[in-house]
Amino acid sequence: MAEETGLSRRAVLGTLGAAGMMAAAAVTVRPRAAEAQGLGQNETIEAALKRVFAGRPMKDGSGAIKLDVPLIAENGAVVPVAVEVTAPMTPQSYVKHIYVVADKNRIPIVTRVALTPESGQAYMGANIRLGETGDVRAIVEQSDGTLLQVKREVKVTVGGCGG
Amino acid sequence: MGAGASVSDIGKVRLRLPASIKTGDVVRVRCLVIHPMERVERDKAGKIVDKKYRYIDKVTVTYLGRTIASFDTTQSVSENPFFAFTFKATDPGKLAVTFHDTHGETYEGTADIRFG
Repeated sequence: MAEETGLSRRAVLGTLGAAGMMAAAAVTVRPRAAEAQGLGQNETIEAALKRVFAGRPMKDGSGAIKLDVPLIAENGAVVPVAVEVTAPMTPQSYVKHIYVVADKNRIPIVTRVALTPESGQAYMGANIRLGETGDVRAIVEQSDGTLLQVKREVKVTVGGCGG
Repeated sequence: MGAGASVSDIGKVRLRLPASIKTGDVVRVRCLVIHPMERVERDKAGKIVDKKYRYIDKVTVTYLGRTIASFDTTQSVSENPFFAFTFKATDPGKLAVTFHDTHGETYEGTADIRFG
C-alpha cells in the first residue's frame, strides 16, 4: 500500500514521528507559560481552589498524608513545611502532584510539586512564607485523579509576606 | 546568609545528600538557592506595584537526564528558598537541580551519585 501512494514506510513513520514531537513540544511549552503566571495570583483561598481544582471533590487525606508544620511560627518569613504521603510510587499508581496552600496568604497557592514514580517516595519539603495565622493545606493529586487533603493551623507571631 | 546575602551571592546553589548511598535507596535531598524571591510591593494607597517581580517560579530535578520531580513555585515561598525531595538511586550518574526565575536566569546545582 505504501508503494502505491509513493510513500515509503520509513518516510511515513518519520513524518509521523516529527509531528508527534512537535505536538509534544507544543503541549509541554504552552501550559508552562500560562501556568507560570496563573499559579501565584492575588486571590482568596476559595478562588484559588476553584481555579486550580475546578470544584473536584476532595477526600480527607489524614490517613495517608503527613503534613509537618510547626504549631507556632515565630517568623512567618521562613516556615518549614514537609509533606509525606503513604502511597505506592509505581507507574500504575503514584502521587502526581503535591500542592501546598496557605489559606490566609494573599497568594494562597505556595507550590505545586510534580512527582514521578522515579521519585521513589511521595515526599516534599520547602520553606514557605505565611502572612498571618491560618490553615496550611497539603493537597495530593494521585495519578488516577483522586484528590486528598489535610490541613493544620499554624500560629504566626510575625507575618512574613509584607505588602 | 539570610538578610545579609549580597547581590553577588544570588544564584549560589547548595545540595545536600547523605554521605553514603546504596543501590536502590530512596534518597532524600535538600537543596537551597540564594535568591531574593521578591515579594509583592504596594504603594501608599495599597495598590500593588505593577512590575516584573523577580522570584523563582520553577525548580526541576533531573536524574540520569530524566526529569523526576519539579516544583512550580510562587512568591509565597521564602527568600533563599529551600526544597527537599526524594529520588530512587538506581544507577550511578548525575543528579541536577535547576532553579528558574522570572527574569530568565537559571541556577544549577549538581551531584554525582556513586555507590559504595
